[in-house]
Amino acid sequence: MNAFLRLSPVFVFFVILLGLGFYIQKTSADARAKNYSKDYYIGGRSLGGFVLAMTLVATYSSVSSFLSGPGVAWQKGFGWVYFASTQVVAAFIVLGVLGKKMAVIGRRTDSVTVVDVIRQRYQSNTLAIISAVVIIVFFTTTMLGQFIGGAQIFSATTGLSYKAGLIFFAFVVVLYTTVGGFNAVAITDTACAVVMLIGMFCLGYAIISKGGGINKIMATITEVSKTATATGKGFNMLSPTAESSGVASIPVQLFITQWMLCGVCTLGLPQSNVRCLSYKDTKSVHSAMLYGTIVVGAMMVGMHMLGVLSRGVLFEINGSTDTVIPTLITNYMNPFLAGITIIGPLAATMSTISSLLIAGSSAIVKDIYMHSKEAKGEEINQKKVGRISLTVTAIMGIVAVCLAIKPPDIIVWINMFAFGGLQTAFFWTLVLGLFWKKANATGAIWGMIGGLAAYCITMALGIKVSTFHNIIIGIVCALIFFIIGTNVGKPVDEKVGRLFFPEKY
Amino acid sequence: MRKMSYKEKFIQMNKEAKATWIAAAIVIVFWWVTGFGIYAAVGSSVTILGMPAWFMVSCFGSWFLAIALVIFLIKKVFVDFDLNEEGKIMDVSNKDDRR
Repeated sequence: MNAFLRLSPVFVFFVILLGLGFYIQKTSADARAKNYSKDYYIGGRSLGGFVLAMTLVATYSSVSSFLSGPGVAWQKGFGWVYFASTQVVAAFIVLGVLGKKMAVIGRRTDSVTVVDVIRQRYQSNTLAIISAVVIIVFFTTTMLGQFIGGAQIFSATTGLSYKAGLIFFAFVVVLYTTVGGFNAVAITDTACAVVMLIGMFCLGYAIISKGGGINKIMATITEVSKTATATGKGFNMLSPTAESSGVASIPVQLFITQWMLCGVCTLGLPQSNVRCLSYKDTKSVHSAMLYGTIVVGAMMVGMHMLGVLSRGVLFEINGSTDTVIPTLITNYMNPFLAGITIIGPLAATMSTISSLLIAGSSAIVKDIYMHSKEAKGEEINQKKVGRISLTVTAIMGIVAVCLAIKPPDIIVWINMFAFGGLQTAFFWTLVLGLFWKKANATGAIWGMIGGLAAYCITMALGIKVSTFHNIIIGIVCALIFFIIGTNVGKPVDEKVGRLFFPEKY
Repeated sequence: MRKMSYKEKFIQMNKEAKATWIAAAIVIVFWWVTGFGIYAAVGSSVTILGMPAWFMVSCFGSWFLAIALVIFLIKKVFVDFDLNEEGKIMDVSNKDDRR
């Protein structure tokens, strides 16, 4: 009975998501008949401020922000919340710096994907193909990681087996993304973001009431920290660097690179950038900056803080810190509220998967297939594009699910590089491409390949500079290669210059 | 909505991007100074709503500061203009050359 009560809100939510997917497919039939890829991949540039903000935030908040992050906060304390709070700048920085330029240039050049913009800016097919391949590889592996995480939460909280959970929940997300396209992704992301917030409040209420109020919880945490300082067992939960036996477990260097990895460099993530091509007008992007900042802060600070406070409820755990949140939900919440709360982390996972899936599919269909047709001067049949887009999206999703049933080591391994790898590859390509007139194709190609190589090789071999995260190696190397390449390569031609830098003429 | 030429829009967008970077830099500095600063000064002995002051001021403070700065940006720096260029579409990829 309890399992049924816990599952029912999840079922209702899944049915709503599927309904939205099919409803949007129906209402956008006319727009798709005219220009399939524009409607399917960016929703015909129609997003308003609220939906834009929610879809951006939902893309950021993945399984880690709802599961692994708060789990580590349970163990390490307030330092880990401090660490996670670096993401507060992410939403406004991408919209404020790139948002309007991508939108203006996207409209002027009729660009539908980030790779389209890169192709127009650098006039290089080689660079466009490399970009598309990087996107496909990293998106597929990231999706796989999300599928694994989502299925684990699903099985831990509902009692279904991992495989059954995976297939059930993957079926829903792949189906609504495939039929509904970008608009469905944006709307369902919004629904997901809203239930994430509701789930967070339910969880917060449960933790504080079961823990006997903030003061009692804080007394436990102070006790744990005192014991840790005295005996060296556990972490000082009250310190920013969470010392264990006098050694900082989150060193200052790691905080510096966290500001890059989760703060400033998120500017380079193609799954966020593509959202700059999809909104309606300047009012939308302005309000999205505000809503996005409010919600991303609430989620990052809120969820991780709940992780810390849950120490007052859950004194010990069996297994990894990833089990903290599922244990809390199943053991300390009323089954119906638990059902609503479970949707939170599932929604975080699904919204990330759907965004990656639709953007990954666009890399294959728009950037590789349709471009090669256009280059040959062949007529493009909108119906055929439609069939191909649906098929590619579905296949990409299904491949990721199949791999997630028994994840191969190599993919789990690539997944570790994906987040920083995408930033290394695209940060300078976009920032310098849109703000430095001299930047050219040679520079971009060298930067992308050189940066990625440096990042992946040092990650793989475990080479580190002090205790910094390797993103610093990737970003710095990418910049150096970019500048050298730009000085070696041919200068940009005037046509591109006038389009991307009219203020210089 | 302000009427602007293509060139004027880019001058405006460069200004907006610069202002965004400055806002981000202010948040980052505030975060470092309050978090590590308060902890270095008083440790966790001072609390706000039962939780350590360094944490409350740095995490919630940076969040509120970011919101305030974004409001300032969109009210004072950012300008509304038409993202379209009278429906013009310009393709610089020289399709004819490749045919």
